[in-house]
Amino acid sequence: MQQFLAQASSNGAASPRASASPVHLRPQPKREKEAPPAAAAAMADEHQELTRAFSGMGGLGVDETALVSALGRWRRQPEKRTQFRRSFPGFFSLSAGAAAGIERCEDEFVRHLEAEFSRLKDAAVLWAMHPWERDARWAHHVLHRAHPPPVLVEVACTRAADDLLGARRAYHALYHRSIEEDVAYLVKDANANLLLGLVTAYRYEGQHVSEELAKEEAKALAAAVKSAPATTKLLVQNEQVVRVLATRSKPQLRATFKIYKELQGKPLEEDLAGEPCLQEAVKCLDAPANYFAEVISAAFKDDADKQAKAALTRVVVSRAEADMDEIKDACAKQHGSKLVDAVAKNTHGLYRDALLAMIGK
Amino acid sequence: MATFVVPQAVPLPAEDAAALLRAFQGWGTDEQTVITILAHRNASQRKQILLEYEQKYNESLIQRLRSELSGDFEFHQPFSVCLASMQHAMYHWILDPAERQAVIANAATKCIQEDYPVIIEIACTNSSAELLEVKKAYHVLYQRSLEEDVAVHSSGNLRGLLLALVSTYRYEGDIADTRLAESEAKVLHEAIKNGTTDHDELIRIVGTRSKAQLNATFSCFRDEHGTSITKALPHGTDSPGYLRALRTTVRCITDANKYFAKILRNATRESGTDEDSLTRVVVMHAEKNMKDISDAFQKRSSCTLEQAIAKETSGYYRTFLIALLGS
Repeated sequence: MQQFLAQASSNGAASPRASASPVHLRPQPKREKEAPPAAAAAMADEHQELTRAFSGMGGLGVDETALVSALGRWRRQPEKRTQFRRSFPGFFSLSAGAAAGIERCEDEFVRHLEAEFSRLKDAAVLWAMHPWERDARWAHHVLHRAHPPPVLVEVACTRAADDLLGARRAYHALYHRSIEEDVAYLVKDANANLLLGLVTAYRYEGQHVSEELAKEEAKALAAAVKSAPATTKLLVQNEQVVRVLATRSKPQLRATFKIYKELQGKPLEEDLAGEPCLQEAVKCLDAPANYFAEVISAAFKDDADKQAKAALTRVVVSRAEADMDEIKDACAKQHGSKLVDAVAKNTHGLYRDALLAMIGK
Repeated sequence: MATFVVPQAVPLPAEDAAALLRAFQGWGTDEQTVITILAHRNASQRKQILLEYEQKYNESLIQRLRSELSGDFEFHQPFSVCLASMQHAMYHWILDPAERQAVIANAATKCIQEDYPVIIEIACTNSSAELLEVKKAYHVLYQRSLEEDVAVHSSGNLRGLLLALVSTYRYEGDIADTRLAESEAKVLHEAIKNGTTDHDELIRIVGTRSKAQLNATFSCFRDEHGTSITKALPHGTDSPGYLRALRTTVRCITDANKYFAKILRNATRESGTDEDSLTRVVVMHAEKNMKDISDAFQKRSSCTLEQAIAKETSGYYRTFLIALLGS
């Protein structure tokens, strides 16, 4: 990859973000003996662009416009396509197809492409859906595919009380069960009680906060955190902790977290580093915008897995009309760069346009 | 079916408000008029009367009723107890159904160690939508959620059970999965056999499954083990509140009418009338399904509910209850 970039940049081409794709996807430098250097460089540029359009150099989504323009430009020039196939070993394998005299498609890359091509479809369908149905479907998907619970915690803690209730109603209509039944039946680990509590909460939504109560509960949380290492149970199984997180109103909880930070000198999330589910719940309840900003930046990392990448669509679509402005501020604070810039840099094609349109200025 | 009756021609709210004001004026209160009006108006009519009264006479009808019916008058000394009961009943009756249950639930959370059956009744005998309305009314009245108050005042298994019952938004469909019912009946049986230490699974099942599914599970339990689940639950001394709460839960889910009829039978025993329970059941159901409860009462008693109430209560309290029962 580095050689390829060096060759390209020596000809004035813009170099893309370094090493975003796994090794086998990175194209090898071309070996063109016949064409003169300038033409070779131009061809290398074209190949690089087409590779990027096919999501072969990292980033999310595919560049539909570039693909279509390549189709047009190389009309009736199969040799161009052949050269392209030879320049893209991640997508096409010379050795696997040697017996048949073809550069055979790698199945793994085709599956990768399926995911990348469908990002726009997912975004558009989710955008069109009613928010309650969206949340119900995500919850159901996560519960039945045994994915880790973050999505469930996210839906339960960042939605307003009536929206969470709406999602629960939608779940009834879609799956003929209640979400709490499925959580109770399918989640059997230590997080079960917390998840059940979070998902069934119908919190008071007013601003009334009792400072005294916040102090009392902050102290109780601090005591629980301190005594946790000595007991055999995890904090997430602590009845007090679950009770406070699952029943108190969000303004009340934020007051409690604030006092906790004053008492202990550090935020509660830090003390929960060993229990990801509990930590997520606290993050989502305390400052959802920061949480979402973290999820978005995780989607752009090199080692992001399928779920982390899909989270980008999920967060942008579900928060576009909620707290997107706060998320943009949080992104700027966390990374010093604007969200729109990060998205423009790390995504391609119509998917990128869709995201930017939803994120807004 | 509801039992209270609304007259064919209902006076305007303004007329009712004026009539009530007249009833309050002078020395003492014309309780009969108050009953004749309020016991024969439905929830929306009562709400309109409340608004009219407050607008016209610049005071809250509820507050006025409370002071008029407080029974502190020396004049009414012998009847002061009945008037307190009537005031209690009237105060709850005048609210709309969701607010009424929110108020009753709030009072119950304050002495939850004794009054947890009330919470269970409200959580289990309402439909999911009705329970939601109660919780919304609770937010408005108390700037807290019912779940918070229940959680804070209880502990251990009892808290786990009550919180689950009060938070759930049950699926309301009729379909029950038989295989699931069988497997969950097994889980319940195991949990009961092993004592009360490991009831997380049991609480989760009882607190989340739809009522149709739970009834199927309880039937399977009975078929498998020859005894109903309420009889199988031990009457142990450790955490007796929790075990009794479980039994109450199962009874409310299986046959709410039978459960309330039993409460009424216990409340109207010769050995002393439990007016709190009597008021609660009649006032909470008069505009809902008091008829079914009354029928269930009669099935297992030697007299009708009206007769039992007539025998065990007196004064305007009796008049009010009988009016609510539609006589």
